[in-house]
Amino acid sequence: MGTPPPVELIPGTLDMLILKAVSRGPLHGYAIAQFIQAASDAVLRVEEGALYPALHRLEVRGWLRATWGTSDNNRRARFYRLSALGRRELDSEAEYWRRVATAVTRVMQAD
Amino acid sequence: MKRLHDAISAWRRMAALFSRRRRDRDLRAEVEFHLAMRQQDLERAGMKSDAAHIAARRQFGNVTLFTEKTHDMWKFPSLESVVADTRYAIRSLVRTPGFSIVAILVLAIGIGANTAMFSLVDAMLLRGLPYADANRLVILIGNVQRQTVERRGNSLPDYLDWRKQATSFDEMAAYNNFTVTLFGGDEPERVMVESVSPSYFGLLGVTPAYGRTFRADEDVDANRDFVVVLGDAVWRQHFGADPTIVNKTVRLSGQAYTVIGIMPPGFTGISDTGQIWLPFVFAGYTNSRSSRGFQTLARLKSGVSIEEARAEMNTISARLEAAYPDTNAKRGVEISPLQVETYGQLQPIVLTLMAAVSFVLLIACANVANLLIGRSEARQKEIAVRTALGAGRARLIRQMITESCVLTTTGAVAGLLMAQLLVRAGTLASPVQFPSFVQPGINLKVLLFTVGVALLAGLVLGLAPAMHARFARLTEALKESSRGGSGGARAQRLRSVLIVTEVALAIVLFIGAGLMIRSSQKLAAVDPGFDTSNLLTVSVSVPRQPAPPGATPPVPGQPAPPPLPYLVSGAELMDRVRSVPGVTSVGLTSDVPLTGAGSAVFYTAEGDATTDAQTVPRAYVHRVSPGFFETIHMPLRGRTFRSDELKTDSTVVVVSEGLVARFWPKQDPVGKRIKLGNSSSTNPWLTIIGTVPETKYRSLPANPTADPDLYFPAVDRSPQPMLIRTSVPPLSILPSVRAAIRQDQPAVAIFAANTLEELVAQNTSASRFTMWVLSLFAGTALLLSVIGIYGVMSYLVTQRLREFGIRLALGASRRDIVSVVLRQGTILIAIGAALGIAATIGLSQLFTTLLFEVTVGDLSAVLATGVLLVAAVLACVIPAVRATRVNPVETLRSQ
Repeated sequence: MGTPPPVELIPGTLDMLILKAVSRGPLHGYAIAQFIQAASDAVLRVEEGALYPALHRLEVRGWLRATWGTSDNNRRARFYRLSALGRRELDSEAEYWRRVATAVTRVMQAD
Repeated sequence: MKRLHDAISAWRRMAALFSRRRRDRDLRAEVEFHLAMRQQDLERAGMKSDAAHIAARRQFGNVTLFTEKTHDMWKFPSLESVVADTRYAIRSLVRTPGFSIVAILVLAIGIGANTAMFSLVDAMLLRGLPYADANRLVILIGNVQRQTVERRGNSLPDYLDWRKQATSFDEMAAYNNFTVTLFGGDEPERVMVESVSPSYFGLLGVTPAYGRTFRADEDVDANRDFVVVLGDAVWRQHFGADPTIVNKTVRLSGQAYTVIGIMPPGFTGISDTGQIWLPFVFAGYTNSRSSRGFQTLARLKSGVSIEEARAEMNTISARLEAAYPDTNAKRGVEISPLQVETYGQLQPIVLTLMAAVSFVLLIACANVANLLIGRSEARQKEIAVRTALGAGRARLIRQMITESCVLTTTGAVAGLLMAQLLVRAGTLASPVQFPSFVQPGINLKVLLFTVGVALLAGLVLGLAPAMHARFARLTEALKESSRGGSGGARAQRLRSVLIVTEVALAIVLFIGAGLMIRSSQKLAAVDPGFDTSNLLTVSVSVPRQPAPPGATPPVPGQPAPPPLPYLVSGAELMDRVRSVPGVTSVGLTSDVPLTGAGSAVFYTAEGDATTDAQTVPRAYVHRVSPGFFETIHMPLRGRTFRSDELKTDSTVVVVSEGLVARFWPKQDPVGKRIKLGNSSSTNPWLTIIGTVPETKYRSLPANPTADPDLYFPAVDRSPQPMLIRTSVPPLSILPSVRAAIRQDQPAVAIFAANTLEELVAQNTSASRFTMWVLSLFAGTALLLSVIGIYGVMSYLVTQRLREFGIRLALGASRRDIVSVVLRQGTILIAIGAALGIAATIGLSQLFTTLLFEVTVGDLSAVLATGVLLVAAVLACVIPAVRATRVNPVETLRSQ
């Protein structure tokens, strides 16, 4: 196989990725894992089990709201969507991330 | 926003506690769904069903472990980590002993004062009266509609009608108090009798320790058995706590009574002064509706409100008024809860003081909050590091709350010790006589209160530094600390709020205390109209002379022979007292001034046509001896009584000027005549021989009613109150006065010895109690808020040192710097003062009833405000001056 192996997530970024995943609309846990993998061109792979403690933690904090709904294939699934608090958190996390990433990239590109 | 969100988290976790099973099911379903989806996708990619099942699980990881981890998200931190937090908090507090000691001390003062006050509230109001179903016990007080509704006693026929007709009550009992002389111990002693209906004991839910109480047939007619129930104190003191005294006889004022029971220790009846109990029939009420004097205790039926009972009694009163217009016109019944009657003014006073002391705690908390904010700023770096190491925001807040709870609970322990001392010292030194069963102390309820206050304070104080500390993000925390550890504008605002709060609260207490002091001064300055200094009063109980041998015993049905004269006459008593060195004059009276014991009469002035049967004027009668006016220093115009006028059918009277002003204004009253009863009465005319000014004879600061006083010539009586003017401190000659009066006559008993000054003090004690306690609270509040303001201002100055350095370097004068700092402080103090004054005006409705002739606008309020403001501004001066000592160069270099 020509694709490089998936990388471990940088600690602390999972929350941000989850928030980003649900920012465009409600998703269930499986779809969130799929989204992260697909959107990162399979570079980022979430350990699927680890997703659930994170989802529930974000729910307890009030950044996510969860409701039971029906999936595309007509199964009962738990859908997560972003709360107003969560959107604000996502914005500031994203901003923080952008600055760190730019800075790190700039440092690494310096000769 | 962050606070809100922590609250949300906590709330969700709380809610999760109650839906654990559903959450469990949901979580399993959620994971199942995930696995099924993965399996389906793998199958679509061509994997076989079993292999896909296994692969899906492998890809997910350890299902049990992650499910467990997910569950943990909903749990509260375990007890284990609370213990760890506590140990960490203690360690970090021990590392900063100065901070910890100050904070704990301040909290101990606040919590201790609150605990002490609460123990009083508990003893008085929460524990309730020590009777069965005490909240349903009420007193029925007969009243009459005159200019105002005035309280009177009940009459026997009315009472019997109430019992027959009223349906709102389980039971009623008549009761009254008087004193008798008890013989049997070493010395005869005056004891307080409660004469009560047989139902009385059942109503209060007390049972005798030995023997029984009265049977219903022991209270029906005058052909009675002479039975008595002894109180525990009398039983121990006079009869050596001998239970076999039951069924034996004791002598009370010349009559043998059979002891039928002994009451349990501590029971003193609802008068709280009862020493022995006699059947109510001994109170001697006649079958006349106009002979009123006793009170009635009753218990509301379960489920009947006091308003319903009032409505019913109003109906019954109206019925009686229609049936007996002569005696019952304008007569009604007031129903008042026993608790209100027992505590009177003490209840609003204690509640007001409880509110006041909570202000002291708030000020103490504001001070500690300020200290904690300073501390959390000093620890910005520690916090930043812990955040970097992965400590969550909630975790750090929890740590801070744990730390402040450790502080407050330690403060609470110290406060409890303080409260114990305060309560003991307070009850000893209190000028107020609390009912004997009110014994404030530390019990479980008080302990729970203290723990509750400590934890609540801990929670609030822990959130205070969290309010401003921004340790949510590593970057910001580090940015903050790189700026020099200041909490920035937010912390400054918070500190400003603390100053404003402290000043506002302290102002309320200060104005309150100022008004109370002024009110007490005014009370103390009330002139009773006579000279209370160096005036002693004693009451003497004298038996009648023994019947001569061979005298015929009274025959039932025949008119009783005139009573025998007393063993010692009033004149002889006066002679005996006069012989004591240090006594300058002596007088007799029928009732001691300021005890409110005088009896009311109706009278008619000769030639007066302005009054009728309904408006017949009333006055209070005192029977006094020659020498009375001279002894009490009441300026008498006219003459006093001659010794030949000292008899019941005498026709001379001394009146107070109010009566003269009403009927013979600007005329010489001497020689004018009045008579008792209304204009049609056949009582003899009484000639006025002298007048005295209106005095506060019956009560301070004012007589209960504005009626004038009548002074009739004294006749021998027992007990006989005496007034003794002395040239030396009155109590110093009390022993010789006692000895002189008794002259080794064992039947003569002396009691109720007191100085008039003490009686004045008792009349105003509630006000002085309030004043002292409130002043204590206000003083503490002043001290705490001055310390607080000083602390905050010092801090704010430190924050601006760099700025001041620049200003000085740019040529600002030291005066400019001082005025900058002072302006900052003064503005905050002014805002606080404005809020405090507004709050005081808002609260004034609550405490004006406690004030005597003082309103919120009194000068003392202005003065109190002034003193507090000066102290507050002074607290800013030292930091301001320190600001000018800045060395610009050093300050700039250091940052």
